[in-house]
Amino acid sequence: MIELILFLFIGIGLLVLLYALARRPTRHEGTAQALVEAKHALRTLQENLLVEELVERIFDPVDWKYVASAAGEPTKDEFLRDRKKIALAWTHRVKSQILSLKEYHFRHSRFYSQLNPATELSLAFSFAALLQQCRLLQLLLRIGGPYAAPALVGRTAAAAARICAASEKSLAFLTPATAGSFGDRSPEDGAAVL
Amino acid sequence: MDVQAASGDLQRRTLAHLPRPLDRLIYLASMRDYNTGMYYHDGLASRFSQEAACEALAGCHQEAFRQLLASSIEDLVGQLAAYRDSSHLDPAGFLALWRGLEPYRIAVPAETDSLSVDFLLSNLKIALAILEDHPTRRPTPEQGAWPRRSPAQ
Repeated sequence: MIELILFLFIGIGLLVLLYALARRPTRHEGTAQALVEAKHALRTLQENLLVEELVERIFDPVDWKYVASAAGEPTKDEFLRDRKKIALAWTHRVKSQILSLKEYHFRHSRFYSQLNPATELSLAFSFAALLQQCRLLQLLLRIGGPYAAPALVGRTAAAAARICAASEKSLAFLTPATAGSFGDRSPEDGAAVL
Repeated sequence: MDVQAASGDLQRRTLAHLPRPLDRLIYLASMRDYNTGMYYHDGLASRFSQEAACEALAGCHQEAFRQLLASSIEDLVGQLAAYRDSSHLDPAGFLALWRGLEPYRIAVPAETDSLSVDFLLSNLKIALAILEDHPTRRPTPEQGAWPRRSPAQ
């Protein structure tokens, strides 16, 4: 009798598992959409969010020192409110782009690039550490304002840049060949590569 | 190649006379058709081509935006004061109009990252508020010196 109940439970468990698997949204592994999203995230990070000048300008207290000495109380309050909003928006966007790259790496990249297990493991650790840093930074900025954690901002930007460099390698096959590289492969008889 | 030549021509003949990034941003934005997003400059188009002129103007507009984004609030206050003075308008009227209508919002190049846009608009808003508190503020001579090298150069 006990065995029968046990088998019944196992049977029900298997049925539930099958149902859950059947209900899972279909993932088209290695679709172009995943590549486009990863490439977009990489470009957003490299060309906008991680541009050194922008990061320095947002988090450099030199503006606050000037505003504190030159503006009235309402303008000072407005400045701190605005700058905190922008600092939080920067952190949120870095985090969401990193999440997008992480998604690509752990779901799709094996279809396009050959990363060895050690590199994959190290990348997984880097993603996890960076996302934790972003969460901590968001908390500190919320509590202490835009200038609460300058060292952590620097470390976050540097870690994100390292992840971008690693991602760039695995997305390198998407970069179109330049005219020069076509030329290099042109046959010696001068035939044009069209 | 034509675009580079057109860009060089534009910088030598026109932008060299606009010493501050804010002046260049406003000028270059005024060259853009708001309906199509295309830039027009008859002189440049006649020397090169409409396409090259459009691309050169768009590139210089982006560059002016980047330079303005890199300006500190103190620098922005100086640039706004100089722009106000060069307009020969009543200073109080100019400031009231700029704070009310915020005309600089439409001077942003297309396809600029939203965070950069928000950052610059916030800085300009604060700079205008400071200028309103200190209407006699004057720019220092070195503010907004042209040409500045972009980080990419």
